[in-house]
Amino acid sequence: MQRIEKILTSVSEKFNVVAAVSVVLIMTVIVVDVVLRFFRHPIPGTIDIVGLLGSLVISFSLGYTSIQKGHIAVEFLYDKLPEKARGVIGAINELVGTVFFAILAWQSFIFALKLKASGEVSPTIQMPTYPFVFGIAVSCALLSFILALNFARETRGVLKK
Amino acid sequence: MSNTLIGLIGLIALVVLIFTRMPIGFLMAIIGFIGFGAIVSTDAALHLIVNDIFSAFASYNLTVIPLFVFMGQLAFHSGISGRLFDVAYKFIGRLPGGLAIATIGACAGFSAICGSTNATAATMGAACLPEMKRYNYKPGLATGVVAAGGSLGILIPPSVVFIVYGILTEQSIGKLFIAGILPGVLLTIMFMASVLIWVRLNPELGPPGPKSTIKEKLKSLAGLGEVIVLFSMVMGGLFAGIFTPTEAGGIGAFGTLVISLIRRKLDWKGFTAALGETTRISCMIMMIVAGATIFGHFMAVTRIPFDIAQWIAGFDLHRAVVMLMIIGVFLVGGCFIDALALIMLTIPIFYPVVIHLGYDPIWFGVIIVMVTQIGVITPPVGINVYVVSGVARDVPLEVIFKGVVPMLIALIIATLLLIPFPQIALFLPSLVR
Repeated sequence: MQRIEKILTSVSEKFNVVAAVSVVLIMTVIVVDVVLRFFRHPIPGTIDIVGLLGSLVISFSLGYTSIQKGHIAVEFLYDKLPEKARGVIGAINELVGTVFFAILAWQSFIFALKLKASGEVSPTIQMPTYPFVFGIAVSCALLSFILALNFARETRGVLKK
Repeated sequence: MSNTLIGLIGLIALVVLIFTRMPIGFLMAIIGFIGFGAIVSTDAALHLIVNDIFSAFASYNLTVIPLFVFMGQLAFHSGISGRLFDVAYKFIGRLPGGLAIATIGACAGFSAICGSTNATAATMGAACLPEMKRYNYKPGLATGVVAAGGSLGILIPPSVVFIVYGILTEQSIGKLFIAGILPGVLLTIMFMASVLIWVRLNPELGPPGPKSTIKEKLKSLAGLGEVIVLFSMVMGGLFAGIFTPTEAGGIGAFGTLVISLIRRKLDWKGFTAALGETTRISCMIMMIVAGATIFGHFMAVTRIPFDIAQWIAGFDLHRAVVMLMIIGVFLVGGCFIDALALIMLTIPIFYPVVIHLGYDPIWFGVIIVMVTQIGVITPPVGINVYVVSGVARDVPLEVIFKGVVPMLIALIIATLLLIPFPQIALFLPSLVR
């Protein structure tokens, strides 16, 4: 299990680098566009580019944020529960999350295939959108794996006691 | 089962299950998905989640969030905070309680380039707490002003909460930003006044700091320059209609980066740390936004928000009474649920009610931000207090919560002032077309 954890952590960190690079790219595209606008030559399709890069920022940081326990949750009552109850509730939550993000990954994948088949492109510069939907699918799959691993860990913890 | 009943079950499930420590964004998405599926169809629900997630993640307007978060993180990692405190300190440090007042001033200054409460509190905590400790300020006062002053981060623009509110309610983010300025100034003054009163009652809390010469004072002013430049660039461009909010965020982040590099205050390590925090915080916020969007679509098909608006209108209460009740819900809810998440949960329900009563949507945005500020400093889940306790590890939580109380009173008074005097929020936006 430790090996799987190591792999998932390392993949999440690499994904997060993609997200971080996208933040810098978005900033750069905007600055260049604003500067060029003064010379009446704005970058065509800046809005498309920024929006699509924005999807990379969020989807590719999903796994990393989850590993860092960065998704906000209410711990107020949960912390007061006995250890066993916490373990059981935790395990159920992780399982529900695993299933939901697996569904989301699968549906996004299908959606991406549809977009690819229909040749869907962004409105102004005709950039294909399907690769970004694939990005969401892959990221949701990664998050689902991470949650499944948490589920295994919680279940093990409960059974041990 | 009627749609209203399904909607009510969904709402109750959300309120109950939120306490199981399921991440709030996930929970809203999942309940929204199941509820939408139960009312419309499974196929439609599958379609809904994929569409809502993709359109939230790839939204040009929402890209403003990572950009402003990045700007704040760069400012945090490059020590702009310390220079701000230095200015305030040189000018008012020698008054009784002067360092605490200086801390509030510096927090307000930092809020002008940072859009979140916890980043402002963490930054100013690191810069101001050691100084106040050095001059024997009582820990309660010192930590209390940082926690409360940090909450200004979302009232003085830029502000993540205004952005999210603006997007959920389709209001102009630029106008919301402008509306936050005067209440922000008012609240800063009220925070300072409550420190003055508190120190007058108990002078041991904050002894006077060292005197500084006029020359030192003038020299420190340079530290204010970069904040003024950044703020006027970002807000000026926004007010003048030259930039969209997203562009303002990009320009602001870039400007902060350039200033940090020129001053040689940012190394590669600080830069990557800022980026790592940026993706994590943005992802957290965006997951809640996406979850709230899915949940909101579920609520919309149940028609519950409209029913509630009709129901409340039926009581024929004075609208100020309804507003006080809504603020009450936020105050109580804010004690238990993270403030940003609470906004997302309640906006789809309260917003139609508030508009139905004839309140101004921009004004309500300011009210929402101010109750959020109250939420981040009240126990047991006041995030700012935890942030400050992370910086001041030797101060117990109870001491910080107690230290916050005088600021909390000021904050509540300021919020209530906005009900009879909406112009405090609406005057500046009325000047913009």
